[in-house]
Amino acid sequence: MNNSQSLNFIIGITALLVCVASTFISGRSQKFRHLRWPLVALSLLFLYNLIFKPTFFALEITDDGYLYGSLIDILNHSSKIALLATGMTLVIATGGVDISVGSIMAISGAVAATVIVSPYSSLILAVFLALLVSTLAGLWNGILVAACGIQPMVATLVLMVAGRGIAQLITDGTIITFHHPAFNAIGNGHLLGLPVPAWLAATIFLIALALTRTTSLGLFIETVGNNRTAARYAGIAARKIVWITYVFSGFCAGIAGLVVCSNIKCADANHAGLYLELDAILATVIGGTSMTGGRFYLSGSILGAILIQALSTVMYANDVNPAVIAVPKAILVIAVCLLQSDRFRSRIMALPVFRKFGGEPC
Amino acid sequence: MKKYLSLLILPLLLLVSCKKADSSKTITVGFSQIGAESDWRKASTLSIKEEAKKRGIELKFSDAQQKQENQLKAIRAFIAQGVDVIALAPVVTTGWDDVLKEARAANIPVILIDRRVDVSEDGLYACYIGADCTEEGRKAGRWLIENVGKQAGIAELVGTVGSGPAVERKKGFEEAIKGEPGLKIIKSQSGDFTRSQGKEVMEQFLKSPERDQINVLYAHNDDMALGAIQAIEEAGKKPGKDIVIISCDGVKEIFRQILAGKANCTVECNPMVGPYLFDVVETYMRGETIPPRVIPHEDVFDARNITQEVIDGRSY
Amino acid sequence: MLKRLRFPIRYVPFAATVAVFIGAYAIGAISFKNFFTLRVFVNLFHDNAYLGIAAVGTGIVILSGGIDLSVGAVIAFTGMLVAKLTACGINTGLAILIALAVGILFGILQGTLIASFDLPPFLVTLGGMFLARGGSFIINEEALSILKNPVLDFIEDNLQLSLGNGVYLECIEVVYLIVLLCGIVFTQWTPLGRRIYAIGVNEQSALLMGVPVARTKIMAYGIAGFCSALAGIVFTVYLKSGNPLNCIGLEMDAIAAVVIGGILLTGGVGYLLGSLFGVLTLGLIQVLIMFQGNINSWWTRIIIGILVLLFIFMQNLITKLSDKKQ
Repeated sequence: MNNSQSLNFIIGITALLVCVASTFISGRSQKFRHLRWPLVALSLLFLYNLIFKPTFFALEITDDGYLYGSLIDILNHSSKIALLATGMTLVIATGGVDISVGSIMAISGAVAATVIVSPYSSLILAVFLALLVSTLAGLWNGILVAACGIQPMVATLVLMVAGRGIAQLITDGTIITFHHPAFNAIGNGHLLGLPVPAWLAATIFLIALALTRTTSLGLFIETVGNNRTAARYAGIAARKIVWITYVFSGFCAGIAGLVVCSNIKCADANHAGLYLELDAILATVIGGTSMTGGRFYLSGSILGAILIQALSTVMYANDVNPAVIAVPKAILVIAVCLLQSDRFRSRIMALPVFRKFGGEPC
Repeated sequence: MKKYLSLLILPLLLLVSCKKADSSKTITVGFSQIGAESDWRKASTLSIKEEAKKRGIELKFSDAQQKQENQLKAIRAFIAQGVDVIALAPVVTTGWDDVLKEARAANIPVILIDRRVDVSEDGLYACYIGADCTEEGRKAGRWLIENVGKQAGIAELVGTVGSGPAVERKKGFEEAIKGEPGLKIIKSQSGDFTRSQGKEVMEQFLKSPERDQINVLYAHNDDMALGAIQAIEEAGKKPGKDIVIISCDGVKEIFRQILAGKANCTVECNPMVGPYLFDVVETYMRGETIPPRVIPHEDVFDARNITQEVIDGRSY
Repeated sequence: MLKRLRFPIRYVPFAATVAVFIGAYAIGAISFKNFFTLRVFVNLFHDNAYLGIAAVGTGIVILSGGIDLSVGAVIAFTGMLVAKLTACGINTGLAILIALAVGILFGILQGTLIASFDLPPFLVTLGGMFLARGGSFIINEEALSILKNPVLDFIEDNLQLSLGNGVYLECIEVVYLIVLLCGIVFTQWTPLGRRIYAIGVNEQSALLMGVPVARTKIMAYGIAGFCSALAGIVFTVYLKSGNPLNCIGLEMDAIAAVVIGGILLTGGVGYLLGSLFGVLTLGLIQVLIMFQGNINSWWTRIIIGILVLLFIFMQNLITKLSDKKQ
């Protein structure tokens, strides 16, 4: 075994050990218990690659001084799902859902690209306008749900359907290509060896974490999701909380749109963010947040996003037709739902084989 | 109730603002376009729209957003409207039998643009105007042999699975390199004709165990090649030098890359079918027979015949 | 004003849908030559039959308080199944029956997961969608055509009614109308249909009243599975080919059609006849834009989004008004 192959193995085994160790640690701790199952799934993926395709773990440092390899790819491409999932987690925590985030990404990319190819081209203006428009889109969703009392799925369905039409209106039905080194860095650049999109996702995650866990905002969101009427009677401005989550979700979608647009150096209103809302919802649910609302886990959503992307990258690396990735995703959704369902767990625990564990749901 | 009346007036204003068809003298052509998924497609659409305006032909344009159902609805709408000629750029090769038979029953000739269809009988379409994609593949293969040599490991970015151009460009290329055992296609996967997927697939090629054997990239269209160029640069290699880039279409952006030395060859696939299309339409309206096949003029471009003037002169 | 007219408020959304449809049709008839013809009208049914059948299934599930996101994927899957079985030499008629059985089983499976384990329908049918879509690609990566097929050719040549002027009423439209009629009779006049409405309005109350909630839900999803499979077969006959990329995103169109048709997404309110007008309106907007020939096609999406919004507002208003009356 030559040097690079043994290096791959070392990296692979390290990754696997980290995952397995985290699984056990989180299983013990009450706070991180929800991370257990995604970590198990990630460990299984790493194990599979270690046995069948160790080159998956190849890491090298390129001439420009940044890390390069499949693992970094996972980090890079999962950033957009992670960004969406951060906003989606808070929305789902209030008992709602936002299926328009993919279309908001398309609108954000369209706005940014239009600004850059216009005479007023500037990085700051492009980013500012794109984020402004996506935050307004989030506000629109928030008004429909909170103020008008429309069911979240339908309210966000409107923007999901019309949003891509609006994005195409902005780009005049074409794919706008551009060259702007500073803007390109958003999707393609590297900071301290790691890709910029990953830094952006980490930053937004930390901001959301700080806002929700160090202030009472998180508690309010969970209360509103659990029982909105009770929350209102307890004095919480439930409506305000709900529309704040939608605004934040729109903002996150805006950043994700900028990342995607910058990554391929063009604004494609038809394909940008297509069906990413489903991946974001999936990531959130994998992370432990229930669709009925209430307790939410931001860290779980990020891990869910990484897991989904890892699945996709592993498929690519093993030369499987990417469309077939839908099948393992399906199994993942159903498995996660079943594990989260009380009824299912109590039925499994009632089976004779588990009865000796005292019937304690896992 | 008043609220509902005002709801009706809005769309009324939108639609009545169109001009009503003066059907007797002007020729009406219904054109169902695939979508706007690439610059090439946009150039083709623009060429047809401008040419129609120039010749005073009324054009009913429908963009199918890459869905076959939308194209079927469009053609039926054209038949119902009673257009003189139908032009169709089919998004896939199968499933057109019924609607083409309906058009034939209504005595409206159908002209295919850019892609062919798989039908059960002959005579369902009057003419096919489009590039010979198999010949494009052959030209790419021949350029490879003449300019790079007879030894190379080739990575292939295939177009949308099942589409005419993808199937034919692959076939032509393989025909051209068949006689050279030193030329091997070591990797082949679909990039769906889009830039983002071309980039993702190339990233994976460059991480595969065969990555050091790849020194040629053959992409079925320029957009995928442009995405691949980004992936190659990010992997620390030099596109155009470490990996020779050959693609098809001939969009302005790839010309710039060839001039900058980051790409090597593009086989033109002429999207400016407007003049050819309306020549055929006018021939038909005069009562003469239509040629069954029209091939637009195409060239092969590389660093030798590209200059800044050529780039400025290109309309797409 | 409505009280004076003695028009039951619960029919207003449906009446509004019909009004929008007639209004849009009138605009088309005035603006365009050849619009007000039998061909255009029949085409609306022929071109949207698959969506209509899918909307019947989706409507029944939504009436029961759930949702079905797997519709588009199941259509593609059954299409590929029929095409592949036919290509392998199995009689097309038998292949169609197999595909229908698969669709029903698929729906029942989804319903069982949802009803027995109390899983969120959104996620279960999302999983179903992924499974069916992936399955379509596993059956065959590329499109498969079914040309020169004795069963399909028989359907095409013989099962059509000439309406004059080269316009034909074909098998597909008739199948849709039959399915719609069955759906309406089912929801309005059978005990199972009434039970579906009951669990849609309030599941807890229905449970307390003795309605077998779990079994009813499973039946609703089974019916939706059947409708999706039938829509898939109709689509395959319509195109004479199966394509794993077919009908991506169709579930959202079906939901939009159902909402425009006056069925509330919370469940228990609405009439399946509304889904007919919802589907026809969606198709009509596309035809209007095609006849105009100059409006860019993305306006279709914007207009549909606006329509959905307007109808939601109206339904919201009506719910508030009828709550106030009580």
